Amino acid sequence: MNKLSRRSLAIYATDQLLANKHLGTMAKELAAVLVASRRQNQAELLADDIAWELEHRGKVANAQVTSAHALSQQLHKQIVAHIKKAAGVDQVIIEETIDKSVIGGVRIDTAAHSWDKTLRRALTDIREVV
Amino acid sequence: MILSVNQFAASSSGGISSLGINLKAFIFQLITFVIVLLILRRWVFPKLVATLEARRKTLEESLVQAKHTEEALRAAEIKAGEILKAARAQADTALAEAGSRAEKLIAKAEAAASERSARIISEAEVRLEQEHQQLHEELKAELAELVAIATEKVLRKKINEHEDRALIEQSLKELA
Repeated sequence: MNKLSRRSLAIYATDQLLANKHLGTMAKELAAVLVASRRQNQAELLADDIAWELEHRGKVANAQVTSAHALSQQLHKQIVAHIKKAAGVDQVIIEETIDKSVIGGVRIDTAAHSWDKTLRRALTDIREVV
Repeated sequence: MILSVNQFAASSSGGISSLGINLKAFIFQLITFVIVLLILRRWVFPKLVATLEARRKTLEESLVQAKHTEEALRAAEIKAGEILKAARAQADTALAEAGSRAEKLIAKAEAAASERSARIISEAEVRLEQEHQQLHEELKAELAELVAIATEKVLRKKINEHEDRALIEQSLKELA
């Protein structure tokens, strides 16, 4: 059996999602392929590849936003606007994480981009520069 | 013969006897003397002369030998003097050579020691400089770490939600 690459599977899944195919059916198909090719452990990586493909096509960006304090509604909107503009996507899904170790500022990670404007990063940069 | 002698003595006793000499005794002594002389001349004198001659020859030979010995001794002394002189000259030369060689060796050893000490000093300086540089870097890193830790502590105390919000807004503006 010719093994499909993870990238090919991600492209296929993205196409199916954008074609509004039933999500459950598509997930079963992908799971079947991974099981058949004994790559069950790559399911998470495949999900990341699909997210990257969606973002790359300018559809959806799944963003992990990390800050020391909870974001206000206004900041939330500003971040969404920034990601839409910077990543060139139509839709942004934000997953917010509170992490006191970042001290202040914000870190935004999407499948294809990353912005780290935290004080933790600034201090690490100072250490590395010195 | 003795009779004739007695007769001669008796006849002539008048003249000689007047001088107080016993002619008879004199003639006997003379005959005895002659006999002794003949005996000595016949048996004693040749041996005595031969002995004396041998002794003389021995003495002459001894003298010649002593002279030869003296000459040989003198020659030996001269030769010994020459040998001593040559040996002294040789010893002087050897001493001079040894001195020269020792001076060269000392000079060489001094040069080597000087070079080695210079190299050791140079290496020590390089090592010292490297250690100094390393220490400087370590201190710098440690200082930066301390500054970062201190800054972090200050920031943790100073940054509240409001300021954090302002910071995030500022960051988003910078990103735009």
